Amino acid sequence: MRFLFFILLQVTIIRHLDLGIYFNPFLFVGAILMLPFRLDKSLVLIIAFATGLIIDVFYNTMGMNAAACTMMAFCRPWVLRVYSPTGDYNADASGTIGSMGIRWMIGYAGTLILIHHLILFYLEMFSFHGFFTTLLKVILSGITTLILLLITQSIFFRNSA
Amino acid sequence: MYGIIAFFKRHYFTLLFLILEASSFAFVFTNNYYHEAGYFNSSNRIAGSVYSTYSGLTSYFNLKNTNDQLAEENARLLNLVSTNKDTSTHKNVLKTNPYGQEYHFILSQVIDNSTNFPNNYLTLDAGSDEGIDEGMGAVSPSGIVGIVVKVSPHYSVVMSLLHQKTLVSAMFKKSGTFGTIAWGDKMDYRFAAFSQIPMSEKVKIGDTIVTSGFSSIFPKGIMVGTVNDFTPIPEQYFYAIHVKLSTDFKNLKYVYVVSDLKKIEKDTLEINAQKSLNEKTK
Repeated sequence: MRFLFFILLQVTIIRHLDLGIYFNPFLFVGAILMLPFRLDKSLVLIIAFATGLIIDVFYNTMGMNAAACTMMAFCRPWVLRVYSPTGDYNADASGTIGSMGIRWMIGYAGTLILIHHLILFYLEMFSFHGFFTTLLKVILSGITTLILLLITQSIFFRNSA
Repeated sequence: MYGIIAFFKRHYFTLLFLILEASSFAFVFTNNYYHEAGYFNSSNRIAGSVYSTYSGLTSYFNLKNTNDQLAEENARLLNLVSTNKDTSTHKNVLKTNPYGQEYHFILSQVIDNSTNFPNNYLTLDAGSDEGIDEGMGAVSPSGIVGIVVKVSPHYSVVMSLLHQKTLVSAMFKKSGTFGTIAWGDKMDYRFAAFSQIPMSEKVKIGDTIVTSGFSSIFPKGIMVGTVNDFTPIPEQYFYAIHVKLSTDFKNLKYVYVVSDLKKIEKDTLEINAQKSLNEKTK
């Protein structure tokens, strides 16, 4: 279903897009971000871990994506609370632009994507060697991922839950 | 007792998170350099077949480049004086190079590659069934590619030259002065760093650099690249040399894995020599 779509898209097309060393989008995190809000947070954690691990197999990154996704899933409930509209979320709310609006989406997804990319790119370098270049990479790639996610949602996930 | 159970129940989420996160970090850090490039890598069957299919589709776009490279290499090889004893399968060729070394080339295709990450790997569509083993060198028609780090029956993962941990022993073709090739300084897929060359060496831009044959990974004389620029480091009496790599990492289609026939014999010889030296000096 939706996860398969994001994963395949990531490992076939996006992996081979060479946009340079600073622009490294990881669109698959969108699959985790779009999980239902009311889903048990521990389940989200496990799903995120498994998804990260699958991507690691394709990217040869040994577990870095699993680490980043798990951290992201851990912070998701907190981020959801921070961005919750007054009066809490509607019962049928879901992580899409159609449901919550684009401004909310940018805040929610942007924050979680930032967390994910921070963990991923710094783990990849694992040294303070390129501290600022990695930071630049986090920001630029994060923006790219966010834009790609917004576009993908507008095209494929207009009204879905 | 009940207090502990209650604690676990209340903090179930955080504890689960800590367990999963710790496992992820364990996967990342318990990878022992080249034996085991982590347990999760693209040599497994599913990843391998996804990449095979995808690269089958996209390889059509690079046909002209691939053909040009192969034609050039053919021309070059035909001009070399060498004995070419073709063994049974077309994929496995016995070669002898001008330095008198004998080794096998196992032909394979690249089904996944990258050049823009800090650590780049290639996935090949040949594995242990074809005779590939960890630690073997991989070369292409245009120069060295990397070292095999993980093998499954039908696929292999190669640590590309464009990887922070790759170190290759290389030398100047004409003088034989040797040094180490490494990557990661400029993160550019076209350049690598050549270190440990003393300032007494006469270096010119365009000088050819080839593998030295000192490790049992690459045969001697495989093309690495040419000198692009060099700066002296007075404090160390070494040059800092940037090498323009001859291998076109963006257009890799065919890769030959080198299985050195004489490796076991050579390594055993070296171990025995060391042993008898130790006994003599006792």
